[in-house]
Formats: sequence, C-alpha cells, structure tokens
Amino acid sequence: MTNRRAFMKSGAMAIFATGIGGVIPSFVAKAAQLQKNNEKGKTLVCIFQRGAMDGLMAVSPYADAYLKTARPLLYMSPASTEGQLIPLNERFGLHPSLNSLFPFFNDKSLAIVHGVGSPNNTRSHFDAQDYMESGTPFNKGTSSGWLNRAMGLSDQKNNPFQAVSITSAKPRSFYGEHATLSVNNLQDLVIQTKGNSILNNLAAKSFEELYDETSNQLLNKTGKESFDALKMLNSNDLKNYHPSDGVVYPTSSLGNALKQIAFLIKMDVGLEIAFAESGGWDTHFNQGTANGLLARNLKDLSDSIAAFWKDTAAYHHKVAVMTMTEFGRTVHQNGTAGTDHGRASCMFVLGNDVMGGRVYHNLPILAKENLEDERDLPVTTDFRSVFSTVANHHLQLKNNAVLFPGWKGEELTIINHKL
Amino acid sequence: MQHRFSLLLLGGCILCWLLTVAFLPKSSTTTMFKVKFPFSAAGLTKQQAAAHLLNRFSFGATPNQISEVAEIGLEKWFDHQLAASINENELNEQLKDYDALHLNNEQILNKFVRADQLLKLAVEKGLVANKDSIKVNGDQKAYKNQLKELYEELNLQPMAELHRQLINQKIIRAIYSKNQLQEVLTSFWFNHFNVSLTKNQSQAFVLNYEQEAIRANCLGSFDALLIATAKHPAMLTYLDNAQSVSNNNEVFNPMVTAKINKRIQRRMDLLEQDSSNNNRAKKIKQLAKAKQQEGLNENFAREVMELHTLGVDGGYTQQDVTELARALTGWTLSPALAANKGIAQQKMIEKFGKETLLNKGFVFENDFMFRADKHDSKEKIILGTKLKEGGGFEEGINILQMLGKHPSTAHFICKKLAIHFVADTPSIQLVQQMANTFIATDGNIKSVLLTMVQQVEFWKAAISHNKVKSPFEYIVSTARATNAEVHQPYQLFNWCNKMGQKIYYYQAPTGFPDQSVSWTNAGALVNRMNFGLAFATQKIPGIKVNWAELNHYHEPESAEAALYVYSDILLPARDLQKNINRLLPLIKDIQIEQKITLAAKNHEMAIELDTTELNAEWMNNNHSHSIMQHRSNNQLNAIKSSATMHFSNSVNNTIAQVAGIIIGSPEFQRK
Repeated sequence: MTNRRAFMKSGAMAIFATGIGGVIPSFVAKAAQLQKNNEKGKTLVCIFQRGAMDGLMAVSPYADAYLKTARPLLYMSPASTEGQLIPLNERFGLHPSLNSLFPFFNDKSLAIVHGVGSPNNTRSHFDAQDYMESGTPFNKGTSSGWLNRAMGLSDQKNNPFQAVSITSAKPRSFYGEHATLSVNNLQDLVIQTKGNSILNNLAAKSFEELYDETSNQLLNKTGKESFDALKMLNSNDLKNYHPSDGVVYPTSSLGNALKQIAFLIKMDVGLEIAFAESGGWDTHFNQGTANGLLARNLKDLSDSIAAFWKDTAAYHHKVAVMTMTEFGRTVHQNGTAGTDHGRASCMFVLGNDVMGGRVYHNLPILAKENLEDERDLPVTTDFRSVFSTVANHHLQLKNNAVLFPGWKGEELTIINHKL
Repeated sequence: MQHRFSLLLLGGCILCWLLTVAFLPKSSTTTMFKVKFPFSAAGLTKQQAAAHLLNRFSFGATPNQISEVAEIGLEKWFDHQLAASINENELNEQLKDYDALHLNNEQILNKFVRADQLLKLAVEKGLVANKDSIKVNGDQKAYKNQLKELYEELNLQPMAELHRQLINQKIIRAIYSKNQLQEVLTSFWFNHFNVSLTKNQSQAFVLNYEQEAIRANCLGSFDALLIATAKHPAMLTYLDNAQSVSNNNEVFNPMVTAKINKRIQRRMDLLEQDSSNNNRAKKIKQLAKAKQQEGLNENFAREVMELHTLGVDGGYTQQDVTELARALTGWTLSPALAANKGIAQQKMIEKFGKETLLNKGFVFENDFMFRADKHDSKEKIILGTKLKEGGGFEEGINILQMLGKHPSTAHFICKKLAIHFVADTPSIQLVQQMANTFIATDGNIKSVLLTMVQQVEFWKAAISHNKVKSPFEYIVSTARATNAEVHQPYQLFNWCNKMGQKIYYYQAPTGFPDQSVSWTNAGALVNRMNFGLAFATQKIPGIKVNWAELNHYHEPESAEAALYVYSDILLPARDLQKNINRLLPLIKDIQIEQKITLAAKNHEMAIELDTTELNAEWMNNNHSHSIMQHRSNNQLNAIKSSATMHFSNSVNNTIAQVAGIIIGSPEFQRK
C-alpha cells in the first residue's frame, strides 16, 4: 500500500523551485513536521444530510400505534408485506434500505440517537443548517463553524489536511480562522493545462505569488490553503487509488467523497476532521416506503458509509463517523404522500469506541398532545449533546465553552471513554 | 435627532422624485439627465466609475467599453440598461438554431422526453414489445443507438437536449446581449425564485420559466414577478403546490365525492378477490388510498414567505405557513401540462363544461389553472389579515400582493440586491434607503436600483473591489473581456460546474449563495486558475481568442511589455503595479522557457518551416479566420514583417501564458 512518503510529492517541491532560484518553501519543513502531528491520530467524519431526513422512517418507532394512524401511506413495520423494517428492538425498526448498516449495529459499533434536533424551532432549512453548523442555535452572528473551532482545540498546527471537506463549496461548519481545505475532487488540486509541465509550474508559482499579494483577505487565505495542499498532493496517487479488496463505493457524490476521505486516512496525513454531504432529503412529495425517493437516499447513505467502513477496516481504532440533518419531518403524512418540515430526527454514530447496538432516545408516544405544535416529533436531545460527546470523547478536545458557547447541556454516554 | 431629520428629508425628496420616475414611459431619459451619479464623492475618476458600473451591472466590460460608457455618460448608459430595449438582432441571429426558444411549454413537453418516457411511447405505438426489449444483452452502445433511432422515428428529442439548449442560450445571452442589466437581473431573480432541472416534474418548464416569468418581469414590479413565478408550471411543480389540494370545499356536492370513493372501493374489493388480478388490485388500491389521503402540501407556502418575500426573520409563524398553503390550494397546471396529459382533468372539464366551471370560480390562464373544487374556501388568517370564508383564486392573488408589498419583503429584497450589486455586507442605511423606495413605489425594481446607484456607498465599493465573482460571472466576464468567439458554450458550463456553480441544477429553493465566501474554497480556486490558463492558451474546444487582435496587432516587444499591455486590456482602470512587480521576474522565465520549448521542438523535428506553414500556424494560433479575412493583405504583411515568425510565435505563446495568469489571478476574480 502507498504510504505518506509516496503521497507527498517526492521531489516535489523541486517542482516549485525549478529554475527560479527561490528559497526552499516552508512546506518542506512542514511536511516533516506532519509526522509529529495528530499524535492521537483520531479522525472524525461528519456527514450532513441536507434537506431534513425523515427520522421516523429511517429508524421507525413502528410499535407506536399513533404512527400508523398518522401516516397510513408511509407506515412500515417488520411485518409489512413489502419491504419489512429490520427490527432493532421491540420499539424501533431500521428501514430496509439501511440494511448495509445493520451489521455494525449488530457488532455494537453503530449507535443511533433518536429525537435529536435544535432547541430553536425554526423550520427553515437554511437557518436550521446554519445553526447546526455554527453550533449556536440562537445566534445568527456567530461567524465561525463548530468544526473550525474544534480544529483550534487540537494539537495540530499548520497541517493543510487537518480538516478537509469533500464538497463543492466550503461548508458552514468549516468557516473560521483556521485554514481548512474544501475541494470537490482532490484530483483538481493541481495547476495544469495540456502541454509543457515546466510552464505549468511557472504558472503555479505566479499564481501563488499573486494570491499571496492580493488585498482581498478571503482570496489570500484560500489561495494559501490551496497551495499548501496542492504542493503536497500527488494527484496520480488518487487517480490510481484502489479501495481495499471487495469494497465498492456507490458512484454518488457521497460515495465519491467518502472514498477520498478513506484515501486521506490511509495516507496518514493527519486528517482529523472530514466533512461530506448528501442532498435530496426534503421529501414533501411521494416519499415512498420500501422503494421510492427516501429509500434511494437511505440506500446511498447506508452503502456509502458501509463501503467506507470496510475500506478503512485497518483504521477503526482511530475513526468515527457521525451523521447529522437539520431537522426531522412531520409525524403526519401531508396531502401529497410526503412529509413537511418537522422538528426532531435521528443521527448515526459509528466507531469502535462507540457503545453501539442501541437506540438512545427519550421519545414520547406520538399522541397529538405529546407532539410539538401538535404536529412534530419533539426535540428530546439537543444536537449539541451528540456533537460535544463525539468531539470530547472521540477527538478528545474537552472544551465545550469554545465549541458550543453558552451551552450548559449534558453529554451522552455513547462513547467508551478511554484516554 | 438632526441626523434623523435630514435623512427623512432626503427620503422625502427621493420619494417625490421617484413618484415622477415611476410614471414615466419606458425610457426615463429626461429624468436621467437630471441624475448625477456621486462617484466623485467616492473618490473615483469617471473612467474608474464607468469600470465599476460595468463590473456590477453587466457581466464585465468588453474591450474599450469603459471608455465608451465614460464618453456617452454613465447616467445615460444606465438609463438605456434600465429601459432594456437595445436592438438584439445579432444576439437573435446567434440563437436562431435553438428551436426550444420558440416553443411553448406544451410543445416542449411534447418534443423533449426522457428515455423512460420515450420507451413508454414506443411501447404504446407498438414500435417495441416492452420497455426492456431493446436492452440487448446489456450492450450500452446498441441500446443507445436504438434509443436514437426511436427518437428520430417518433420525431422527438432527448430531455438532455433541452437542458443543453437552456444552458447554452443563457451563456450566449450573458456574453453577447447588449441589454446586459436585463441579463444580470434575469440571473439574479432566477436564483431568488430558484427552480431546478434536478426535479423531473419541473425540468421541461424551466426554459419557459426563465423567459416568461423571470426575464419578462425582471425590471418591472416585484409583485408582478412574484405572481408570475407562483403561477408558472415550473414553480408549481418544483415546490409541489400543483398537488396541494383540499377536499373540504363546498363547490361540488360532497355527496358526489363520497359516491365516487365508494365506487372505487367496490372496484378494489372485486379486484382483490380475483387472484389473477392481484397485482393490479394492489396498485389501484394504493392509488385510491393516495387519492383519499390527498391534501395540503406546505412546501411552496413556506418558501414563498421565507425565501421569496418576507425572509426568515420577516415575522411569520408556522401557523401563517399552513394558512397560506390553504389559501393556495387548487393552484395547479393546466390539464395539457399535467401528468398523464391531464386525462382526469380533461374529463372533468368535458363533463361539466368550461362555462359551468368558470361560474364555479375556476380559472384557466394559459398554463395555469385554478381548481375551485380543490380549494379550501374556509376562513383563514394570514399575518393577522382575515380572509373571509368563500374565497377563491383572488384570495391567493391578494395575499401574494400583500406579501410582495410588505415592509419585511422590502428589506429582505433590498438587502439581497445590495449584497449582489454593492457589497457582501451592505450598510443598514443603504438597505433602508432602498427599502424606502421599494415601499414608496410598490416594489418598482428600476426605482430601487436607481436609489442604490445614487448612494455614495455603491461607488465606494469600487475602491475595495471586495466582491468575488461567482463562477458564472467569472467565465462570462473572461469571454467578454477577450472578445472571445464562443462556438461551444457548453464547454464553459463544464468549467463553471467544476468551480462549484452548476447553473440550473441547484436543488434547494434557496438558490446559490451570493456571498464571496461561498465561492471561495481551495478546489474551486485552483479550477479558476486552470480555467484562466486553459482559456488563454486556447485549450478549451470551441472557444477562440485572438490575442493579437486585442492589441490591434501590435506585438509587445517583450514579455514584460506583454504583461503591462495585457494587464491593462484584461483589467482596465485598476492599479496593478504591485501585481506586475511580483510577476516580472517570473515572466522572464516563462519567455525563456517558451523559446527553449520552441527551439527544442524545431530542432527535434528538423523541419525548416517555410513561410506558408508559418502563416497557417499564425492563423491557427489566433483562430481569427473571419476577422483576418477582413483585413487587407497590406495589414497582414505589416504584422508579419514586424518580427520574424519565430519570434511572433514565441511572443504569441508567451502572451497567452501571461494572459492566462492574469485571468486566473485574484484581481480578475474580484468585481
């Protein structure tokens, strides 16, 4: 297997220095230093399901008679004639499209937290995502994202691969003072046009100088992030990357993102926080049951995570995966065989140090009087309880005042605390 | 106190003046002559101000355009742009082969179909046995060929072709339209009222949506825009309102509905008993069950308040969302556009007769239909306003108009405009000024823009240049700055997509974010740099740039000179000395490298190029056949004799390399 040595551009750096007589760039020193970084070696992979996943269908409290009444077209159970739920316990069942995750629930590395959401009752996708990613549900003015603040609490310094988002835009969670890398495809991180490679290097050098010069701080900072990363990345390595034997990622954008994250983990570049996202969860119309819109999305989510988990089998002592979604959906089906914006949903947490095989929850019976605004699954677990538990016990950051300023809630006992 | 008073006074003056403007005919020239843009107060020269005006109200200046605008006067140029009536014959000529532009929604729906729809039709017509029968042994190529034949045989085109035409025509318009502000605003409002090609039910209507709902209203009044989008099939399907209905209404006898339901139930029971028909029974049962369950969908109502009008903090509640959704029940597509060709709706119209339905409150307007029988006519309270029981189509219109004129809407819309045209964080005062105009003119978009451009803050934004172009603005402004001939606009779309802006495919109703931070990340930035190099060195198929022409065929005498000359051509009216200083040492290396490469190439090939070949090479490198043909031989000879051809070629390559670096540079990303 390729290791970091191969991954780093060997003569590298040579490339940038070619014939220009420039000084030895700082990243050479940095690359050596990387080895010392991230000694804890932990990686957290966050997956944001944008659009609000129907937690009541993904992990369904099927034994609740009120659920069947509220959504006759969308109700499923382990006894359904077509597409049975996979029973998790006497109360909850897993959607059949999530079956590739079930083995991890069985071997107790996958925990499900149900009834998770924000104390702010906004049902706007944008606001709810913004609050969840800033980590401050009542403060729109927070300019940084919680994962960027998490970076600041880590021991690592100046590692361009400390936090990587494989998305087409920088996620809100990554906003902030610490340098992060956001790229849709790691292979894009190379300056090239067809033709002369020396000219490409000269162009790269020119661009680096210009971005270093610009008075626009945003372009300046992002330029630096780009060049720090691309100087260390050998795009051929990724092109030739083969996942572990028998692992096939879905060809979806989530599958591709997790594949690249697995690559970075195996390259041992000090990746501490990874971010990926998946869309299409806003199922207002013909949501479907065992088949259909939601089932397809769940299958992609499940198969992508399962492929990633198998691919990184040798790193399970280091890695955890956490899913998140901005809110849940109405308990009642709407008038078009779908569901509208609701409140609480559920999250998946996967890792060797996770106390899995359980659904953690405080869900009430879904009688109308128990619902928020008489329509929605109430939020019984603040999303910050889950985030902070994972940040503190997996990444071992230990600073809620920085991660979630103003929050005094309780953490969950879902991760084995071994320091 | 004094301050507030003078603001009020100023507001009042603007108000009076705006009232005059609002009632003027198409061109407000006479008034515009009285308007003076306060760019001097912001410390800008006329040339810099013209550059700023073009940066913000067009997709970037074309060569020499800054001087032209300074010459005719900034106010006059802006006035023409507001009127948006400049002749577009040349543009129309370029668009003449886009047949979808001349079709209405129904024709588009009947012409462009997805493969699954094609196969369904082919099965219906007996051309293939069933939808799987042409998938021969999984041979993809054979399958594609068969599909192609079927498309031809049925005189249809693939849906992807409609997508291609939509994308290409937008890129062509953005680059070549003379009514640039209209195009900029079309993009702005499309994004504000976003619909997406990612939704199957909407995709066929998106082209017409942009033309009829957006472009036609982009400089009119806001509530007209709001209502046009709300009624358009693209929006009705994208946010599901077409399906949002109520079965609690008194238009038809509830007994009739009950009877129909009973009949369906009986049929299902019979079918279920017949074991040979079990599957069919199941399907019908599902459909019937869905029918009984049909009702409200609050998707559109929420987004109208959150995204289209009031804004998320505009002061509405979940209750208001539900009530608005009730008010909009029955707003749907005309039968011709509905699923299954609206057979059920057609039947209903035939059965009762259009006249009867109109009397019952139905509305038929082109592609829109209001179904009174599916409308919730009970009392509603929205934002404290009571809508009396018995309301129909007009209550939806009234409430949308109320939302369109609401003070929260004025602030929300004006802030979005200010973010787009002025700065990522516009001042509260600027937004307030614009909102005052919005309210005073009932949402007259021209008046709001005029207020904005008369604030010193607008012009001060030219000093920091801190707005980063969106990928689309970047690719289009590159093509405009270089007078590029764009034969394959889709190539530019591919690049735009790589930089993070897949236009027309943004899935969420928010539209693309409009602040610099959203466009600025490592991956996108490196792609921007690569685009600059690929574009300038003519590596993008179907895109041609004539670097020599841009400098009137004067070859710069050195690489350094090229850097100065082309910096000024690509980024006129900017102070680029710092950049140039940084690049000068590198440029020398580039030139040396170019010469070495060329020499090595010549040496290896050991070919003595004769003049004719060199001529061809010059032509090729410049891709300027049409332009060159118009030049006299004398001129051509003069150009050629200005340097040896070897030097020309080397310089030409160097120019392209230098230009690529300028285009990919941070300064060119800023507007």
